[in-house]
Amino acid sequence: MKRKKKIILYVILSVLVIAGAAAIYIYKEYNRAHKDTAKLKADYTVNATDFINEFSGNEQAANKKYWDKIIHVDGLVKSVDKDDRGFYSIIIGDTASVSSVRCSLDSIHNNEAATVKPGNLIGIKGICSGFNADELLGSDVILVRCVIDPKK
Amino acid sequence: MKNRFLMIAVAALISSSSFGQKYFTKTGKINFDATTASSPEKIEGINRTATCVVDTKTGNLQFALLMKGFEFERALMEEHFNENYVESHKFPKAEFKGVISNNEAVNYSKDGTYSVKVKGKLTMHGETKDVETDGKLVIQNGKITATADFNVLLADFKVSIPGLVADKVAKTAKISVTCSLEPLKG
Repeated sequence: MKRKKKIILYVILSVLVIAGAAAIYIYKEYNRAHKDTAKLKADYTVNATDFINEFSGNEQAANKKYWDKIIHVDGLVKSVDKDDRGFYSIIIGDTASVSSVRCSLDSIHNNEAATVKPGNLIGIKGICSGFNADELLGSDVILVRCVIDPKK
Repeated sequence: MKNRFLMIAVAALISSSSFGQKYFTKTGKINFDATTASSPEKIEGINRTATCVVDTKTGNLQFALLMKGFEFERALMEEHFNENYVESHKFPKAEFKGVISNNEAVNYSKDGTYSVKVKGKLTMHGETKDVETDGKLVIQNGKITATADFNVLLADFKVSIPGLVADKVAKTAKISVTCSLEPLKG
Protein backbone atom coordinates (compact mmCIF):
# COMPACT_ATOMS: atom_id res chain seq x y z
CA MET A 1 0.00 0.00 0.00
CA LYS A 2 2.68 2.39 1.00
CA ARG A 3 4.62 1.62 -2.16
CA LYS A 4 1.59 2.23 -4.37
CA LYS A 5 1.07 5.64 -2.78
CA LYS A 6 4.68 6.49 -3.38
CA ILE A 7 4.40 5.60 -7.07
CA ILE A 8 1.26 7.68 -7.49
CA LEU A 9 2.98 10.61 -5.82
CA TYR A 10 5.97 10.31 -8.16
CA VAL A 11 3.70 10.12 -11.20
CA ILE A 12 1.78 13.24 -10.15
CA LEU A 13 4.99 15.09 -9.39
CA SER A 14 6.57 14.25 -12.75
CA VAL A 15 3.41 15.22 -14.62
CA LEU A 16 3.43 18.56 -12.80
CA VAL A 17 7.09 19.13 -13.63
CA ILE A 18 6.51 18.34 -17.31
CA ALA A 19 3.41 20.55 -17.47
CA GLY A 20 5.34 23.33 -15.78
CA ALA A 21 8.24 23.02 -18.21
CA ALA A 22 5.82 23.00 -21.15
CA ALA A 23 4.07 26.10 -19.83
CA ILE A 24 7.37 27.93 -19.41
CA TYR A 25 8.46 26.87 -22.89
CA ILE A 26 5.18 28.00 -24.51
CA TYR A 27 5.25 31.28 -22.61
CA LYS A 28 8.84 31.97 -23.65
CA GLU A 29 8.26 30.96 -27.25
CA TYR A 30 5.13 33.09 -27.46
CA ASN A 31 6.91 36.15 -26.11
CA ARG A 32 10.12 35.55 -28.00
CA ALA A 33 11.51 38.81 -29.34
CA HIS A 34 13.66 39.12 -32.41
CA LYS A 35 17.30 38.70 -31.65
CA ASP A 36 19.46 41.75 -32.02
CA THR A 37 21.24 41.22 -35.34
CA ALA A 38 24.37 42.79 -33.84
CA LYS A 39 24.69 39.76 -31.58
CA LEU A 40 24.28 37.21 -34.37
CA LYS A 41 27.06 35.73 -36.42
CA ALA A 42 26.89 36.33 -40.16
CA ASP A 43 26.17 33.25 -42.28
CA TYR A 44 27.68 34.88 -45.36
CA THR A 45 30.04 37.78 -45.95
CA VAL A 46 29.67 39.35 -49.38
CA ASN A 47 30.44 42.53 -51.23
CA ALA A 48 27.46 44.50 -52.50
CA THR A 49 28.13 44.22 -56.24
CA ASP A 50 28.71 40.45 -56.20
CA PHE A 51 25.69 40.01 -54.00
CA ILE A 52 23.43 41.89 -56.44
CA ASN A 53 24.92 40.02 -59.41
CA GLU A 54 24.25 36.71 -57.77
CA PHE A 55 20.58 37.63 -57.43
CA SER A 56 20.20 39.09 -60.92
CA GLY A 57 21.99 36.06 -62.39
CA ASN A 58 19.79 33.44 -60.77
CA GLU A 59 17.21 34.78 -58.38
CA GLN A 60 15.81 31.41 -57.35
CA ALA A 61 19.15 29.91 -56.49
CA ALA A 62 20.16 33.05 -54.60
CA ASN A 63 16.85 33.09 -52.73
CA LYS A 64 17.41 29.52 -51.62
CA LYS A 65 20.91 30.33 -50.49
CA TYR A 66 20.31 33.63 -48.71
CA TRP A 67 16.66 33.77 -47.53
CA ASP A 68 16.38 34.44 -43.80
CA LYS A 69 20.15 34.16 -43.49
CA ILE A 70 22.30 36.72 -41.76
CA ILE A 71 24.40 38.52 -44.33
CA HIS A 72 27.32 40.87 -43.84
CA VAL A 73 27.55 43.18 -46.85
CA ASP A 74 30.48 45.47 -47.62
CA GLY A 75 30.06 48.34 -50.03
CA LEU A 76 29.81 52.01 -50.77
CA VAL A 77 26.97 54.01 -49.26
CA LYS A 78 24.86 55.48 -52.09
CA SER A 79 22.38 57.21 -49.85
CA VAL A 80 20.88 57.26 -46.40
CA ASP A 81 17.11 57.69 -46.15
CA LYS A 82 15.26 58.63 -43.03
CA ASP A 83 11.51 58.36 -43.22
CA ASP A 84 8.84 60.40 -41.46
CA ARG A 85 8.71 57.91 -38.60
CA GLY A 86 12.45 58.03 -38.04
CA PHE A 87 13.36 54.72 -39.63
CA TYR A 88 16.62 54.61 -41.52
CA SER A 89 17.48 52.73 -44.65
CA ILE A 90 21.00 52.64 -45.98
CA ILE A 91 21.42 52.00 -49.69
CA ILE A 92 24.71 50.48 -50.73
CA GLY A 93 26.10 49.54 -54.10
CA ASP A 94 27.83 50.88 -57.16
CA THR A 95 26.84 54.50 -57.81
CA ALA A 96 26.97 53.86 -61.57
CA SER A 97 24.30 51.17 -61.31
CA VAL A 98 20.62 51.61 -60.46
CA SER A 99 20.63 48.36 -58.50
CA SER A 100 21.51 48.35 -54.82
CA VAL A 101 21.37 46.52 -51.57
CA ARG A 102 18.70 48.24 -49.48
CA CYS A 103 19.17 47.83 -45.78
CA SER A 104 16.34 48.69 -43.39
CA LEU A 105 17.98 49.52 -40.10
CA ASP A 106 16.78 48.10 -36.83
CA SER A 107 15.45 51.14 -34.97
CA ILE A 108 17.33 50.24 -31.79
CA HIS A 109 20.48 51.02 -33.76
CA ASN A 110 19.34 54.40 -35.06
CA ASN A 111 22.17 56.25 -33.29
CA GLU A 112 24.78 54.46 -35.35
CA ALA A 113 22.82 54.98 -38.57
CA ALA A 114 22.71 58.73 -38.02
CA THR A 115 26.47 58.98 -38.47
CA VAL A 116 26.58 57.24 -41.87
CA LYS A 117 27.22 59.50 -44.88
CA PRO A 118 26.96 58.81 -48.60
CA GLY A 119 30.34 57.87 -50.00
CA ASN A 120 31.40 56.01 -46.87
CA LEU A 121 32.65 52.49 -47.15
CA ILE A 122 30.53 50.44 -44.83
CA GLY A 123 29.83 46.97 -43.51
CA ILE A 124 26.22 46.16 -42.69
CA LYS A 125 24.73 43.04 -41.22
CA GLY A 126 21.10 42.13 -41.82
CA ILE A 127 18.59 39.43 -42.61
CA CYS A 128 17.94 38.81 -46.28
CA SER A 129 14.33 38.95 -47.40
CA GLY A 130 14.98 38.58 -51.12
CA PHE A 131 15.25 40.41 -54.40
CA ASN A 132 12.91 43.08 -55.68
CA ALA A 133 13.46 43.04 -59.44
CA ASP A 134 12.37 46.12 -61.34
CA GLU A 135 13.62 47.10 -64.76
CA LEU A 136 12.55 50.69 -64.50
CA LEU A 137 13.67 51.46 -60.96
CA GLY A 138 16.59 49.09 -60.68
CA SER A 139 16.59 45.78 -58.85
CA ASP A 140 17.39 45.62 -55.18
CA VAL A 141 18.39 43.01 -52.68
CA ILE A 142 16.52 43.71 -49.46
CA LEU A 143 17.97 43.26 -46.00
CA VAL A 144 15.90 43.89 -42.88
CA ARG A 145 16.76 44.40 -39.19
CA CYS A 146 20.15 45.69 -40.20
CA VAL A 147 22.93 46.94 -37.99
CA ILE A 148 26.16 48.68 -38.83
CA ASP A 149 28.82 46.02 -38.59
CA PRO A 150 32.35 47.41 -38.74
CA LYS A 151 35.06 45.00 -39.72
CA LYS A 152 37.07 43.79 -36.78
CA MET B 1 23.20 62.50 -91.02
CA LYS B 2 21.84 65.71 -89.65
CA ASN B 3 18.36 64.24 -89.81
CA ARG B 4 19.31 61.24 -87.83
CA PHE B 5 20.87 63.44 -85.21
CA LEU B 6 17.66 65.41 -84.93
CA MET B 7 15.65 62.24 -84.61
CA ILE B 8 17.79 61.02 -81.76
CA ALA B 9 17.50 64.38 -80.06
CA VAL B 10 13.72 64.36 -80.42
CA ALA B 11 13.50 60.77 -79.22
CA ALA B 12 15.60 61.65 -76.21
CA LEU B 13 13.38 64.62 -75.45
CA ILE B 14 10.19 62.58 -75.70
CA SER B 15 11.52 59.85 -73.49
CA SER B 16 12.80 62.27 -70.89
CA SER B 17 9.49 64.11 -70.75
CA SER B 18 7.56 60.87 -70.33
CA PHE B 19 9.94 59.93 -67.52
CA GLY B 20 9.14 63.20 -65.83
CA GLN B 21 5.54 62.10 -65.41
CA LYS B 22 6.41 59.15 -63.29
CA TYR B 23 6.77 59.20 -59.55
CA PHE B 24 8.24 56.43 -57.50
CA THR B 25 9.41 55.20 -54.14
CA LYS B 26 11.32 52.21 -52.90
CA THR B 27 10.42 52.75 -49.28
CA GLY B 28 6.65 52.42 -49.46
CA LYS B 29 5.06 51.27 -46.23
CA ILE B 30 2.45 48.56 -46.26
CA ASN B 31 0.83 47.70 -42.98
CA PHE B 32 -0.91 44.37 -42.50
CA ASP B 33 -3.38 44.07 -39.65
CA ALA B 34 -5.42 40.95 -38.92
CA THR B 35 -6.38 41.82 -35.35
CA THR B 36 -9.94 41.05 -34.27
CA ALA B 37 -11.86 41.96 -31.13
CA SER B 38 -11.10 38.50 -29.75
CA SER B 39 -7.38 38.56 -30.55
CA PRO B 40 -5.26 38.41 -27.41
CA GLU B 41 -2.82 40.89 -28.95
CA LYS B 42 -2.14 42.92 -32.05
CA ILE B 43 -1.58 40.84 -35.18
CA GLU B 44 0.24 43.41 -37.19
CA GLY B 45 3.20 43.49 -39.53
CA ILE B 46 4.82 46.27 -41.48
CA ASN B 47 6.79 46.20 -44.70
CA ARG B 48 8.91 49.30 -45.30
CA THR B 49 10.48 48.29 -48.58
CA ALA B 50 7.62 48.27 -51.05
CA THR B 51 8.30 49.79 -54.44
CA CYS B 52 5.64 51.90 -56.07
CA VAL B 53 5.44 53.70 -59.40
CA VAL B 54 2.70 56.11 -60.43
CA ASP B 55 2.32 57.41 -63.96
CA THR B 56 0.60 60.76 -63.52
CA LYS B 57 -0.37 60.94 -67.19
CA THR B 58 -2.31 57.69 -67.35
CA GLY B 59 -3.03 57.20 -63.67
CA ASN B 60 -1.46 53.75 -63.80
CA LEU B 61 0.10 52.62 -60.59
CA GLN B 62 2.00 49.59 -59.48
CA PHE B 63 3.21 48.18 -56.20
CA ALA B 64 5.59 45.33 -55.50
CA LEU B 65 6.88 43.96 -52.25
CA LEU B 66 8.62 40.98 -50.73
CA MET B 67 6.49 38.98 -48.31
CA LYS B 68 9.54 38.21 -46.21
CA GLY B 69 9.98 41.94 -45.74
CA PHE B 70 7.07 42.10 -43.27
CA GLU B 71 8.30 42.73 -39.76
CA PHE B 72 6.23 41.63 -36.76
CA GLU B 73 6.95 42.50 -33.18
CA ARG B 74 6.89 38.89 -32.06
CA ALA B 75 9.37 36.55 -33.71
CA LEU B 76 7.00 33.60 -33.52
CA MET B 77 4.20 35.55 -35.22
CA GLU B 78 6.53 36.53 -38.05
CA GLU B 79 7.59 32.90 -38.53
CA HIS B 80 3.99 31.73 -38.58
CA PHE B 81 3.05 34.47 -41.02
CA ASN B 82 5.80 33.42 -43.43
CA GLU B 83 5.71 29.68 -42.99
CA ASN B 84 2.08 28.77 -42.38
CA TYR B 85 -0.07 31.60 -43.68
CA VAL B 86 1.37 33.33 -46.74
CA GLU B 87 4.03 30.68 -47.48
CA SER B 88 6.56 33.26 -48.56
CA HIS B 89 9.12 30.67 -49.67
CA LYS B 90 6.61 29.56 -52.33
CA PHE B 91 5.14 32.96 -53.09
CA PRO B 92 7.87 35.48 -52.27
CA LYS B 93 6.24 38.51 -53.86
CA ALA B 94 3.01 40.41 -53.75
CA GLU B 95 2.05 43.00 -56.29
CA PHE B 96 -0.73 45.35 -57.18
CA LYS B 97 -1.35 46.69 -60.66
CA GLY B 98 -4.04 49.25 -61.02
CA VAL B 99 -5.20 52.60 -62.16
CA ILE B 100 -6.44 55.80 -60.57
CA SER B 101 -9.90 55.84 -62.15
CA ASN B 102 -10.51 59.55 -61.55
CA ASN B 103 -7.00 60.61 -62.54
CA GLU B 104 -8.30 63.66 -64.43
CA ALA B 105 -9.48 65.10 -61.11
CA VAL B 106 -5.90 65.37 -59.87
CA ASN B 107 -3.77 68.35 -60.80
CA TYR B 108 -0.27 67.03 -60.22
CA SER B 109 1.30 70.44 -60.72
CA LYS B 110 -0.76 72.09 -58.02
CA ASP B 111 -0.26 71.54 -54.29
CA GLY B 112 -3.27 70.12 -52.56
CA THR B 113 -5.08 67.09 -51.26
CA TYR B 114 -6.97 64.96 -53.74
CA SER B 115 -9.30 62.04 -53.15
CA VAL B 116 -8.77 59.25 -55.62
CA LYS B 117 -10.39 55.99 -56.53
CA VAL B 118 -8.05 53.12 -57.25
CA LYS B 119 -8.98 49.95 -59.03
CA GLY B 120 -6.78 47.03 -59.90
CA LYS B 121 -5.55 43.55 -59.32
CA LEU B 122 -3.77 42.36 -56.21
CA THR B 123 -1.62 39.25 -56.43
CA MET B 124 -0.61 37.55 -53.21
CA HIS B 125 -0.06 33.93 -52.19
CA GLY B 126 -0.32 33.00 -55.88
CA GLU B 127 -3.88 34.31 -56.21
CA THR B 128 -5.02 37.39 -58.11
CA LYS B 129 -8.13 39.29 -57.11
CA ASP B 130 -9.76 42.59 -58.02
CA VAL B 131 -9.37 45.29 -55.41
CA GLU B 132 -11.05 48.66 -55.30
CA THR B 133 -10.39 51.36 -52.77
CA ASP B 134 -10.44 55.04 -52.00
CA GLY B 135 -7.16 56.75 -51.46
CA LYS B 136 -5.67 60.15 -50.89
CA LEU B 137 -2.93 61.98 -52.73
CA VAL B 138 -1.25 64.93 -51.10
CA ILE B 139 0.81 66.95 -53.52
CA GLN B 140 3.35 69.27 -52.00
CA ASN B 141 6.53 70.78 -53.43
CA GLY B 142 6.69 68.37 -56.35
CA LYS B 143 6.30 65.29 -54.15
CA ILE B 144 3.30 63.05 -53.70
CA THR B 145 2.24 61.36 -50.52
CA ALA B 146 -0.18 58.57 -51.28
CA THR B 147 -2.26 56.82 -48.65
CA ALA B 148 -4.96 54.19 -48.87
CA ASP B 149 -6.66 51.63 -46.65
CA PHE B 150 -8.46 48.56 -47.84
CA ASN B 151 -9.54 45.16 -46.63
CA VAL B 152 -8.71 41.83 -48.16
CA LEU B 153 -10.60 38.65 -47.42
CA LEU B 154 -7.82 36.17 -46.61
CA ALA B 155 -9.88 33.26 -47.97
CA ASP B 156 -9.88 35.04 -51.37
CA PHE B 157 -6.13 34.54 -51.47
CA LYS B 158 -6.35 30.97 -50.17
CA VAL B 159 -4.67 31.92 -46.92
CA SER B 160 -6.12 29.41 -44.50
CA ILE B 161 -6.32 29.96 -40.77
CA PRO B 162 -6.03 26.84 -38.59
CA GLY B 163 -9.23 26.01 -36.65
CA LEU B 164 -7.45 26.36 -33.33
CA VAL B 165 -6.86 30.08 -33.79
CA ALA B 166 -9.74 30.78 -36.20
CA ASP B 167 -11.45 33.18 -33.81
CA LYS B 168 -8.19 34.93 -32.86
CA VAL B 169 -7.21 35.98 -36.37
CA ALA B 170 -9.40 38.24 -38.50
CA LYS B 171 -10.85 36.76 -41.67
CA THR B 172 -10.22 40.04 -43.42
CA ALA B 173 -6.90 41.80 -43.10
CA LYS B 174 -6.71 45.54 -43.15
CA ILE B 175 -4.00 46.79 -45.48
CA SER B 176 -2.77 50.37 -45.07
CA VAL B 177 -0.52 51.94 -47.64
CA THR B 178 1.67 55.02 -47.15
CA CYS B 179 4.07 56.11 -49.87
CA SER B 180 6.11 59.27 -50.36
CA LEU B 181 6.72 59.43 -54.07
CA GLU B 182 9.42 61.40 -55.81
CA PRO B 183 9.72 62.27 -59.48
CA LEU B 184 11.58 59.66 -61.50
CA LYS B 185 14.48 61.14 -63.40
CA GLY B 186 15.35 59.56 -66.71
